[in-house]
Amino acid sequence: MSNLFDKRDVDVAWCPGCGNFGILKLVKEVLEELEIKKNSLVNVSGIGQAAKTPYYIDTNMFGVLHGRALPVATGIKLSNENLCVVAEGGDGDMYGEGGNHFIHTIRRNIDIVHIVHNNMVYGLTKGQASPTSQKGFVTGVQVDGVINEPFNPLAVALSLKAGFVSRINIGNIKHAKEVLKEAFLYKGYALVDILQPCVTFNKINTYDWFSENSYVLDDSYDASDFEQAVKKSFETIPMPIGVLYKNKNSAVTFEEAKRGRDAKPLHSVTHDMAKIQRLFESY
Amino acid sequence: MTVEQVKRYNGSISILIGGAAGMGIATLESILNNAFKKSGFYVYSTKEFMSRVRGGSNTTLIRISDTPIEAPCWSVDISIALDALALKHMQGRCHKDTLIFADEAFGEGNAILVAMKESAKKFGNAKYANTYIAGMLFGVLSIDKSFLLQSIAEHFKGDEVNKEVAEFGYEVGVKLENKSKFKLPKVDIEGLKKFHQMDGTTASGFGFLAGGCNMLTAYPMSPSTGVLNFMAAMSKEFDIAVEQSEDEIASLHMVLGGWYAGARAMTTTSGGGFALMGEALSLSGMTETPAVIYLAQRPGPATGLPTRSEQGDLNLAVYSGHGPFPRVVLAPSCLKECINYGYLAFELADRFGIPAIFLSDQYLADSISMIEDVDFASYEQRRYIVKTQEGYERYADTKDGISPRGIPGFGDGLICSVGDEHDERGQITEDYNMRERMVAKRARKNNELIKEAIPPEVYGEGDIAIVGWGSTKGSISEALQNLNNPDLAQVHFAWVYPLSKEQLSVLGNFSHIIVVENNADGAFANQLRLHDIKIYNQILQSNGFNFFADQLTLMIEESIKEIL
Ligand SMILES: Cc1ncc(C[n+]2csc(CCOP(=O)(O)OP(=O)(O)O)c2C)c(N)n1
Ligand code: SF4
Repeated sequence: MSNLFDKRDVDVAWCPGCGNFGILKLVKEVLEELEIKKNSLVNVSGIGQAAKTPYYIDTNMFGVLHGRALPVATGIKLSNENLCVVAEGGDGDMYGEGGNHFIHTIRRNIDIVHIVHNNMVYGLTKGQASPTSQKGFVTGVQVDGVINEPFNPLAVALSLKAGFVSRINIGNIKHAKEVLKEAFLYKGYALVDILQPCVTFNKINTYDWFSENSYVLDDSYDASDFEQAVKKSFETIPMPIGVLYKNKNSAVTFEEAKRGRDAKPLHSVTHDMAKIQRLFESY
Repeated sequence: MTVEQVKRYNGSISILIGGAAGMGIATLESILNNAFKKSGFYVYSTKEFMSRVRGGSNTTLIRISDTPIEAPCWSVDISIALDALALKHMQGRCHKDTLIFADEAFGEGNAILVAMKESAKKFGNAKYANTYIAGMLFGVLSIDKSFLLQSIAEHFKGDEVNKEVAEFGYEVGVKLENKSKFKLPKVDIEGLKKFHQMDGTTASGFGFLAGGCNMLTAYPMSPSTGVLNFMAAMSKEFDIAVEQSEDEIASLHMVLGGWYAGARAMTTTSGGGFALMGEALSLSGMTETPAVIYLAQRPGPATGLPTRSEQGDLNLAVYSGHGPFPRVVLAPSCLKECINYGYLAFELADRFGIPAIFLSDQYLADSISMIEDVDFASYEQRRYIVKTQEGYERYADTKDGISPRGIPGFGDGLICSVGDEHDERGQITEDYNMRERMVAKRARKNNELIKEAIPPEVYGEGDIAIVGWGSTKGSISEALQNLNNPDLAQVHFAWVYPLSKEQLSVLGNFSHIIVVENNADGAFANQLRLHDIKIYNQILQSNGFNFFADQLTLMIEESIKEIL
């Protein structure tokens, strides 16, 4: 089925069967269903297989460096709050190389949707461990298996009081779509960690594995309960999927706090030269 | 000849004040600078301080003159020590005629002892010592005290005690007047009214404001933090988004995000922070996203001398970032140029879609001098953003290599900016033909940029060129005045990279070229050599100071002695 955000004449670089295809489709459908305007959306991504996603979506995009999507997205949103800004990439990109930005972007509460394709491996560089690789995962570099504690993005985000913290499984499209839509509609920083199989370099964490090792948070779960969310975020096998936490009274966003509500986009902001003159003359 | 014997211009007086951090020398500097200006003198001041918030030994040099003056001197006429350590610290800069003042509690040798601490205490607070000294100085030099009292009133707004202390100090100074053998510089009270007094940091800040800067993201690092503070303060007056980033990597990436969406964004940093920006600088080059970077140098490598000065990062500015891409490096030399080049940095970055590096240093940032009225209306507010149509191509392959820059949400086009090699619409490509086209496109942009290169300023008619760049201009200029040798001329660059043949053609007029740089590697001389400029001699220094005009006088004399 065709989608408004389909991009023509692109050569998709993913392996057949890769979980990224499902995510691409999911993102485009959500954008279309939410009636987001192509030219008011910007998708910023770093480097990696996941980070190629924006290249296959017909919208504004800024393909930056490995790990650097978040500060660039921050600059864009600060410059023009009318834009809908997405930062998208892999677990290595966002939690490894860009780890420091991950922490501070959450602290700022900038109104962006942060989509992380979590395949628990470095795909583009051919199969090394990522920050989220499970203990014991053997690679050409981690020859005796991973010994480091896996990074827990949800717990980290909660510890920094992120307003919207979620995880979805690309093997469960229907549920994934509901959550991703909610993330787009949330005002403030929203994390969506997506369990995504890499069929080429991760033979352990497959479609089946993700389905067998996760469960959907049902209606009895109260996503506004912060303490419960923190507890949930530490559950590993099986992993809870869904919205773990959503701040009911969404806090003031970074761009509002910095520039006020309905701030003029910076491209139309020029300074009053007479005022510069006066200030200069006070010296 | 020794530095004390350098024949100096006699229409100026230099005053060195030393003490520990936290003693209020900065307040004293600010009161005196204002008072001297009101009295009708040209004023210049510079400081030299240690990397600590309390203690240590710092000095501030104030020079008053009847002509514009923009350089430090090593040897001073008056020295005032606020503590025993300062008295020792400043000894090397005093000569047989220097008037040395010290407190009676620690003063020794040929120092004139005054009761700084006791008097301050009498008025109820140790910090009155500064006002007492200001008063005493005006008394010793027999300058009309009303200007000092005005300055004190402006500074302390309503605190009457400071005035009393100043009057008291003045009377003490008057009694010591016979000790002073100085002829006061001529005064021009009216003429100086059109001058403004500020440091390089402030002038640079005004330049960036004139350039339309409306976003600044930065991580604090001396000596660049002043501009961050200035713009943060200005964000109360103007619509400027200022954010302290988590690190310098984030700073420059936020700047790129800002420009991508239409802001006029900049960052401030010093060498160590700029080193972390290399990657983003390269991203600016590849994606053709403008960026303005205020790089205030301090001596390296590594943490180096955090509060001191050097011109050691020219190579870093010119070569940082992987892969070749166009960039411009501007190194202003005085307040007026700080404003002009601050504005120009934004213009060039925007027009060419390149990173523009504004190269300052601790000396220029922290030294205070005078600048005549500036007409800000003459800085035209331009924007190089186009409204896009459907089918817009971000990397359109144009004749001059400059692709019209659209921004998201302005027009019907989509903006695809990409750090991988890309085709015209901004899609990743590995097609070697396209790669070659894009490399050529970026190179053509560089050719256009080079056409804009601003020639150096030339002063004097001599055959021997004393070439400098950036913050050393005032020192070289004064050294040449001291030498008063018609064979010498000053050639000074502010546009330091990329250099063009036309820009350098003026150097062909000289028989000898001597390059003065405040660094150990002679990086600018090496840039000149790349353009087949023959360099006869180099004068280098890397001790953490800017060149002292009197010391430089001797160095230049030495460097030319075999020519003459
Ligand atoms: C500064 C830098 N370091 C390393 C790389 C090489 N590199 C590219 S992608 C990548 C990791 C990709 O892993 P992830 O972000 O998880 O994405 P995936 O490919 O698995 O989707 C690495 C190490 C790079 N491009 N830049
Ligand atoms: S390497 Fe893995 S993540 Fe990359 S495209 Fe292939 S399957 Fe997908």
